[in-house]
Amino acid sequence: MFDLVLGYLIIGLVNGSFYALLSLGLALIFGLLNVLNMTHGALYMMGAFAAWAAVEKLGFGYLPAIGLASVGVGAAGIVIERCLLRHTYKLDPLYGFMLTFGLTTAIQGVFQVQFGSTGLPFAPPAWLAGGVDLGFMFFPTYRLWVVVVALAICLGLWLVIERTSAGATLRAASENAGIAEALGVRVPKVLTATFGIGAALAGLAGALAAPVYQVSPLMGSDILLVVFAIIVVGGMGSIGGTILASYCLAIIEALIQAFYPQAANIVIFAFMCVVLMVRPQGLFGISVVRRHEFRAARLPATREAGIAAMPVLTPVVVGAAIVAALALLPLFVYPIYLVKIFCFAIFAVSFNFLLGFAGIVSFGQAALFGTAAYITAQALKVWALPVELAMLAGIAAAIALGLIMGAFAIRRRGIYQAMITLAVAQMVYFAYVQAAFTHGEDGIHSVPRGILFGLIDLRDDRAVYALAAVALLAVFLGLRGLLSSRLGLLLVAIRDDERRALSLGHNVNALKVAAFAIASACAGLAGTLSAVAFQLATLSGAHWHLSGEAVLMALIGGIGTLTGPLVGAVVLVTMQQFLVPFGAWVLVIQGVVFALSVLLFRDGLVAWIGPALKRTRSWPTFRPSAAIQSGTRP
Amino acid sequence: MRSVPASRLARNELAGGDAEPLLRVTGLTVRFGDFVALRDVSLDLYGRGIHAVIGPNGAGKSTLFNAISGFAKPEHGNVHFGNADVTGERADRLARLGLARSFQMCATFPDLSVADNVRTALLRDVTGIGLLRRRGGEKLDPAIEGLLEETGLSSERYRRAADLSYGRRRLLEIVTTLALRPKLLLLDEPMAGLAREDIPAVTRLIDKAAEDCAVLFVEHNLPVVERLAKRVTVLAGGSVLCEGSYREVASDPRVREAYIGDVGDV
Repeated sequence: MFDLVLGYLIIGLVNGSFYALLSLGLALIFGLLNVLNMTHGALYMMGAFAAWAAVEKLGFGYLPAIGLASVGVGAAGIVIERCLLRHTYKLDPLYGFMLTFGLTTAIQGVFQVQFGSTGLPFAPPAWLAGGVDLGFMFFPTYRLWVVVVALAICLGLWLVIERTSAGATLRAASENAGIAEALGVRVPKVLTATFGIGAALAGLAGALAAPVYQVSPLMGSDILLVVFAIIVVGGMGSIGGTILASYCLAIIEALIQAFYPQAANIVIFAFMCVVLMVRPQGLFGISVVRRHEFRAARLPATREAGIAAMPVLTPVVVGAAIVAALALLPLFVYPIYLVKIFCFAIFAVSFNFLLGFAGIVSFGQAALFGTAAYITAQALKVWALPVELAMLAGIAAAIALGLIMGAFAIRRRGIYQAMITLAVAQMVYFAYVQAAFTHGEDGIHSVPRGILFGLIDLRDDRAVYALAAVALLAVFLGLRGLLSSRLGLLLVAIRDDERRALSLGHNVNALKVAAFAIASACAGLAGTLSAVAFQLATLSGAHWHLSGEAVLMALIGGIGTLTGPLVGAVVLVTMQQFLVPFGAWVLVIQGVVFALSVLLFRDGLVAWIGPALKRTRSWPTFRPSAAIQSGTRP
Repeated sequence: MRSVPASRLARNELAGGDAEPLLRVTGLTVRFGDFVALRDVSLDLYGRGIHAVIGPNGAGKSTLFNAISGFAKPEHGNVHFGNADVTGERADRLARLGLARSFQMCATFPDLSVADNVRTALLRDVTGIGLLRRRGGEKLDPAIEGLLEETGLSSERYRRAADLSYGRRRLLEIVTTLALRPKLLLLDEPMAGLAREDIPAVTRLIDKAAEDCAVLFVEHNLPVVERLAKRVTVLAGGSVLCEGSYREVASDPRVREAYIGDVGDV
């Protein structure tokens, strides 16, 4: 028993070392660049591949290979920062986040094309094989080596930052870049160096992890979200706190692994939720940070005001045209393909509504989509409920989960909200990986479609199409009505100035949770439709890559526009359809499109097409071009 | 100028008697980490009239406002409003109780029209299904309509707040706050950032508001303080230095010292 605990303790220490190296770099980058670096997981993975390639392909020794991996990944980081990331500094921090999101997808895609998804073995060198007898226990030498190296690097870096003048420069630039610049600090150089160091740390972590885990293109994907949760727990801006939280949480995780393995994956995320409720600024963070959030997390200003009521007459004509178009479309296009577009559009709406109209960032929408899909599939296949009840159950489940997620998400704002929603969604994902009814990797298959209201036989693809078209129309009309309602007015007011809305007597938190519930209903509707139409519910429906696709669609179409998500869905689904023959290249291209959209077409396609088609000024749109630079970091 | 019966602006149950203070702040201490922003501050405010808080930068004026209006948590001390102890109460609840505030950096909703800005104040009691009703249905009441008219905002009611001049936005912010029908109006540096020609309009509006509710304001513009305030409290270094009429305070040597610094020491 004692040996078992010690064994897991070692696992905890080793994982803690990886977490510490990653979270340290991530926290540094966040502090200085105000960018939540989604490429961090990809850089970690690149470090592992670099070390592997240096030993196996180029014949280097182990130590030079590790050095090469760190330096190489650091250099890659510098290239990313100088060529791409730099262009997002003057924008809302969300764009840096989206850019790195896209880059991650592309980088992972490239490695998948090259190496496939199976892991490559990588043996530690002979001199680190075997174990060390510590008297009371036996410690595998390689793991001891990992812990010692990681601790040395973390403590060394901590000392450099706290005690040296270079560290003082770093801290000054992170405290107030403007004043540091005025005092002669060459801030752009400092930013580049910071990103390089952060990337090198990630590369080192990957190189060290290579013999412990298998080297695979997706190895950085899930660890990244764990590190986010650790940073939220540790409190951003506290380096010592981040390192401590990394080791503590990794050890807790390992001990849970020993006694209740089913919960091991989610324990860190659960811990994060508890910390958020009790001490929102993180365990070691200072409460002043929260005050900064009030201003810093403000979204870019909008141009068009939510002023005049909608014109009443024209919609009759426009509406008739839309209904006619929807009725005729399936004659020309494969109905299920259209259903997929509609599903994705409704799903993207749920993200876009929250961000554009309520100022809430949710990158966890896939959890809601997946939940609704699973519940609907289960209800149809196992409980044999009528299809309308199964769909309602799916949507209700999504709303219930959305209320919980919203309650956590509104504790913080801006980029923190993105991290929290990602982390909560990841917890849900792991719960589905464990749960028996989801059938793990297989998913729920051959879901019967059933007969809607006992009248409409959904086995006919055209009937499913009609259902999806009605759902799409309902969502758009409902949202339009909502935006011209009192609630819409108040949500825009909260997005504009939360403090002011509070001072005018509005229960801001309750209104935000209401917005979250509405968005959850949309995501749930999309998920439930997908379960019925495609007759399956799988893990990929709850994975954060799907949340990323919602963001991508909104971005392509135009964030904060009503019709943008539909345009984005058309583009994305069509792209995926045409790229099917290219296999894993789909991810690469999708990632590149994502990154390019952030850099070049931030306003989205609707901003180009829109003005030509109509000049309505009827609801607020979120115009990223008018982005203001937020002075303080959130 | 068309006059609006001021009594319709806000009803103040506590006006008249003046025996009980409307706002009683006792021994308020606020700390940010190691820094004591406010130390043992006490203040009484009666049903009507205008009370000013002045003091050099960093004296704790805004912190005092934040602690009273629910935006900062006091460590010690109490805030009584009306008959209730409202220490540490949430800002939105305070607003619904009749304690309304403005902000130093003018706080309007830039993406909403002038009329919609005012409307946000009228929707504070709307909850549940009522929120799903179409906006714009509710008429602005005549008193507010009158204020919009007087401040010249009436003709701009469909313009976005972001398109107004700073002075206009300040007027809009105060009118919106008044639309809450507050018993106590807290104004945090209402003249800050205003062009010289905008100052009289804002001064008039504050004067008018004070016919119906108590006003507590922080201000650096001393002529405005002299013109408006019946009583003045001087804060320095987080504590109350002295309190009295403007003239009494202005002639107090401690106040001069706080503003100009102890010349002998340098």
